[in-house]
Amino acid sequence: MNLNIPTLNCAKRAIAALALVWASIFLATVAQAGDLKTLKIAFRNAETGFDPQRIEDRYSVGIIENFFDTLVTYDWLARPAKLVPLAAEKVPEGEEGGTRFTFRIKPGILFADDPAFKGKKRELVARDMEYAIKRFRDPANRSPYAWLFIDRIVGFDEYVEAAKKANKYDYEKSIPGVQVLDKYTISFKLKQADYNFLYFFAMPIVVPVAREVIEAYASDTMAHPVGTGPYILKQWTRRSKIVLERNTNYRGHQLDTQYANPNDPFDQAAIKALAGKTLPLIDRIEISPIEEEQPRFLAFMNLEHDYIEETPPNFVSQLLSLGKLSPAMVKRNVHVQRTEEPEITWDAFNMEDKIVGGYKPENVAFRRALVLAHDRASEINIIRKGQAIATKSAIPPGAVGYDPDFYAVDEEYDLSRAKALLDLYGYVDKDGDGWRDMPDGSPIVLTFKHRAEMEGRQIAELWVKSMAAIGIRMQTTAVQFADLLRDRKVGKFQMSNLSWTADYPDGQNFLQLLYGPNIDESNDARFKLPEYDRLYSQALKLPDGPARNKIYREMNRLIVAYAPWRLGVNRIFSHFINPWVLGYKRHPILYTAFKYLDIDTAAQQAAQQQ
Amino acid sequence: MGAYVLRRLWQMIPTLAGVMLLIFVLFNWVGGDPSLVLAGKITNKEQIENIKKQLGVDQPAYVQLGYFAFEVATGFTCTWKSFTDKPEPPKTDPKADPTTDAKSDAVKATAQTKSGCQAVRSWATNEEVPKILTTRIVPTLTIMIPVLILETILGVILAIGVAYVRGSLTDRMIMMVCTVAMSVSFLVYIIVAQYIFGFQLGWFPVQGWSDSFWKNITYYAPLPIMLAVFVGLAPALRLYRSFFLDEINNDYVRTARAKGVSEKTVMMKHVLRNAMIPILTNIGIALPGIFVGSFLLETFFSIPGLGREILVAVNRSDFPVIKAATVYLAMVTMIINLLVDVLYKAVDPRVTFK
Amino acid sequence: MSAVLNASHTPPPPAAPLHQVSPGLWQLAWRRLKRDKVGIVSLVVVIFFLLMMVGSYTGLVAKNWSKEVGVSYANPSFMAGAENLEAVRTKADANAPKIEPVDLSDIDPLAPRYAEWAERTAKIKTTEVKRAESLAFGGDKWGRDVLQKAIKGAETSIFVGLFAALFATIIGTTLGAISGYMGGKVGDLLEWFYNIFTSIPYILLILAFAAVFASSPQLAAYKGVPMVVAILAFTGWTGIYRLVRSEYIKHASREYVKAAQAIGASDSRRMFVHILPNVSHVCLVQLSQHVVQFIKAEVILSYLGLGVPVDSVSWGTMLAEAQSELVIGKWWQLAAAGISMAILVTAFSMLTDSLRDALDPKIK
Repeated sequence: MNLNIPTLNCAKRAIAALALVWASIFLATVAQAGDLKTLKIAFRNAETGFDPQRIEDRYSVGIIENFFDTLVTYDWLARPAKLVPLAAEKVPEGEEGGTRFTFRIKPGILFADDPAFKGKKRELVARDMEYAIKRFRDPANRSPYAWLFIDRIVGFDEYVEAAKKANKYDYEKSIPGVQVLDKYTISFKLKQADYNFLYFFAMPIVVPVAREVIEAYASDTMAHPVGTGPYILKQWTRRSKIVLERNTNYRGHQLDTQYANPNDPFDQAAIKALAGKTLPLIDRIEISPIEEEQPRFLAFMNLEHDYIEETPPNFVSQLLSLGKLSPAMVKRNVHVQRTEEPEITWDAFNMEDKIVGGYKPENVAFRRALVLAHDRASEINIIRKGQAIATKSAIPPGAVGYDPDFYAVDEEYDLSRAKALLDLYGYVDKDGDGWRDMPDGSPIVLTFKHRAEMEGRQIAELWVKSMAAIGIRMQTTAVQFADLLRDRKVGKFQMSNLSWTADYPDGQNFLQLLYGPNIDESNDARFKLPEYDRLYSQALKLPDGPARNKIYREMNRLIVAYAPWRLGVNRIFSHFINPWVLGYKRHPILYTAFKYLDIDTAAQQAAQQQ
Repeated sequence: MGAYVLRRLWQMIPTLAGVMLLIFVLFNWVGGDPSLVLAGKITNKEQIENIKKQLGVDQPAYVQLGYFAFEVATGFTCTWKSFTDKPEPPKTDPKADPTTDAKSDAVKATAQTKSGCQAVRSWATNEEVPKILTTRIVPTLTIMIPVLILETILGVILAIGVAYVRGSLTDRMIMMVCTVAMSVSFLVYIIVAQYIFGFQLGWFPVQGWSDSFWKNITYYAPLPIMLAVFVGLAPALRLYRSFFLDEINNDYVRTARAKGVSEKTVMMKHVLRNAMIPILTNIGIALPGIFVGSFLLETFFSIPGLGREILVAVNRSDFPVIKAATVYLAMVTMIINLLVDVLYKAVDPRVTFK
Repeated sequence: MSAVLNASHTPPPPAAPLHQVSPGLWQLAWRRLKRDKVGIVSLVVVIFFLLMMVGSYTGLVAKNWSKEVGVSYANPSFMAGAENLEAVRTKADANAPKIEPVDLSDIDPLAPRYAEWAERTAKIKTTEVKRAESLAFGGDKWGRDVLQKAIKGAETSIFVGLFAALFATIIGTTLGAISGYMGGKVGDLLEWFYNIFTSIPYILLILAFAAVFASSPQLAAYKGVPMVVAILAFTGWTGIYRLVRSEYIKHASREYVKAAQAIGASDSRRMFVHILPNVSHVCLVQLSQHVVQFIKAEVILSYLGLGVPVDSVSWGTMLAEAQSELVIGKWWQLAAAGISMAILVTAFSMLTDSLRDALDPKIK
């Protein structure tokens, strides 16, 4: 960090004068922040918009958490995640064998004021939820989360089909499986038992919206989020600045401490800062999306931002090396929280490919050898800078159904075993060119498709090296994100690196990635194993419990044995928080923490003026 | 002259058509599938079909091209139905007084949807494309106009100085420094300068942008501007110097000197005036570039400009944005070229129009 | 499209040479170049880089650039003692807690041959290589020697620059010659084409061509370095086209060309045998200018992730990699790639200047 800059004597004075000018502007801007409790942070990526039923990227969804109230949500401190009521009075139990769920909305919850309400206060009612559910499958919305409600609710598919025929999506018509029982009560009837259905109502995109607002801003709903949450969208310069301010109609909430862990310093700090207070406490939040790593990191270092979440792995060791905060950070009294999030990465084999696909023992042996030869420790240590742990099964820690005792040696790097397996099944060098060939003598050239950015490139680089070590030739193709997506969905790839972040914290959300009927939808590896599919359908009908966990374990064994994936890593994220930010705790599913934060404004300003 | 301008404008049409055709072929034919990008994490077949239909990408290529041409001509996109249906009057209560912007927005929006025609929108963010272009161009120009001005002024002043002492050690040293400065990649300059000036020395903010022009230009823009000027100055200086030298070697300069005109007057009066023509040509060539801006600067300094927008659009297969940006920039390029050629006439009477 | 100027700003071409004069132009130019010290020094530097390129291509130098000989981010030898946290962290990798592994034998298609597999495994031995703590000019994150990488990267970058420039010059010259010489409908068509290419922002053009190459199965065989060359050549020929075209317009009406026509030389013969030698100096200068331009453009391509594939290295990919290394204090890769590129590009630009001076008889 110590870089000596040779300064020419003659230039010194001019530079000093310049510096003075900038310094004065600096101070002026700091003073401007004034009396509002203001939080400034960066996002890793640009947002797309704020219409709950039209978005899916984490960053936009993270922001609308603050505009809208879900019916149920996750307790802020409970780990693993636990559902608690939010706009609903209580978390419903599954009735009729897990096929019916009835929510009763708390009376008296108000929407934020908006011209669309024509000056009247507007109360949240069950119809708003019904309207939002219908919006998911309105063709005009092309909702990325339409799949949540496809082939699930009784009568919904028929409703959509009829709308298609009539060429009019009729919001007045009702759906048999979505019943509004009274002003505040809504009940859903499912085609078959699905205990994960409840989790949908904790997703920040499955939130009630006011029909008059949507219709008033029909052409630009993305810019007009009007909800019942603690904040409103005050100002929005797309891809540059998002400003949130308090919703004056908001009823206030409190930190629930019943699930707090007495041994967790973050829980204790949060309780100390927030317990008993009416939240939210922060008046204004300014978010800047910064895509490049270096400026995002440097902006935190320069105190331009109050905390940095998901610090770029390349820079973590600057602040935290071998588990210890660097002296500079200790001096600044910065805290760090490290979290594993419910997400996994993996390298998929295309199961329909002539070389890497197939279910015959020799096909399986080939894939298993590649898995054994892939140097995952280097991916963790060098590419991800130690900010990850090896994934043991398809269900990540933090998701319901995670099995800490699941450990397969067949996912562990072992060159000798890999080579022995290839030799055993006849994948040896037949034409003497130094590279292994297929048992029938045809040459092997694998192709790894990756995203045209640094991380994708490095992952591909590691694969090429790992394969060379066992005598297998591999090429790489870099493609833009959109192209890669297309190629993967239609099976136009041989191997590729993928990742998945939980929509809801249940193992099923991950296991569906290999479910046969999901080919062309989310099963990019195009894996189709009757035994696996049978277990999957069986697990769907069961509530969380040992019986279902046993099935999940079976499925994980099949994944290891047939190796449609090389299991990758669970990333560990480091979040660095300046000392004046009080009560910070990162949640595994919810993306933003604004409504559970406080700021010591005096300390903030003192630090920035230094 | 008028006829010339008219003819030039007329000639723009085939070029523009060619640009549209090329962009259409390149992105529609081989680009990513936007319906997959938009379909979400789980791509249901029905959902994909729906998106394709909504975006109109399920239509045959010539129909899509037709829509594209219509969009370019009007800035609006219409459903086929809207040409046959009569637009209904907006449903909003006419008595309601549209006092706020939001409300009049709402009225306008309703009117638009009812008539079936609306401004072309980004597929990814649903933002109106004309609005994207007009808002993103402001930060780009906030950076690029000062860059162009500073670069030209500094370039001309330095070049005339260097040309004055041509052949001397100073001249050779400066030229050497310029060549060396030009040989370093812009990427390296940005990374190093952001680290040193933004972070180590803390003279500038590392990144950022605001809504206030004044704050941008005094606070956020200086470092990117200085970087771009620094990088652009060396080639400009070299080029301008060569223009001056070309003039200095001309007979009329010799004649002037022979008449006893002082060297200073020769430089400022004769050489500078004549060298201004190629310099202006050069500015004319560089001018369209300022509308694109530098995506490197924009990504590293978080400037919400057009260059970054194009990059993001390509990544998301956001065709409406790609297509609009291309067509718009092509038009700007052609119009500026025309203006420069017309300006020639004003500056240099030797020019004739063919 | 642009106004045709009576007064040309480009220096007029050499006085209409007669047939035996043209070799003299080159000889004279060489004589002039020899007197230019800067030019000669630049030439020597460029030749040195070219030799290095040949050397690394044939495997004489930097053959083992991809060998991981050092620890992660090994220090340069002149700061051998400095603390290297990255390497410490890599070594400190704690082994996963030993849990009883799951038994797959009841479902595993490979289960019948477990015993054979284990037997063969036991026979294969792997050896651990000792890694150096410091390398001549430091190591990259994989522990590869940065100096060797820079040499190998030079090979790729110069190759890309040279060949892209060569192809761009060929495309530009051919089209420019046809357009300038033929004029008429063909000329209009080519002008149209030129206008289209120059009206589309460069960055979009590059991204579009990259997408075409990356997703076209017919072009799959040319992925990698040839693809980068093609992208640069197809997007970068316009400047050369413009210049060559105007030269051909001038020459087409010259007497020597008319004379050639009179003795029955065909159009293509007049274009490429008679006129081409007289405009070749323009092409040569353009060629060397474009080499420099393309070497720099390759950096941008690499930054966008569209550079050379992962099993090769170029200055551009090194710089893209080194982006985040400066902040963590590992400046050597940035320096190695940045400086070696600066030296070559400087030398090449100066050589271009000298060449132009030498080939332009007007400047004394």
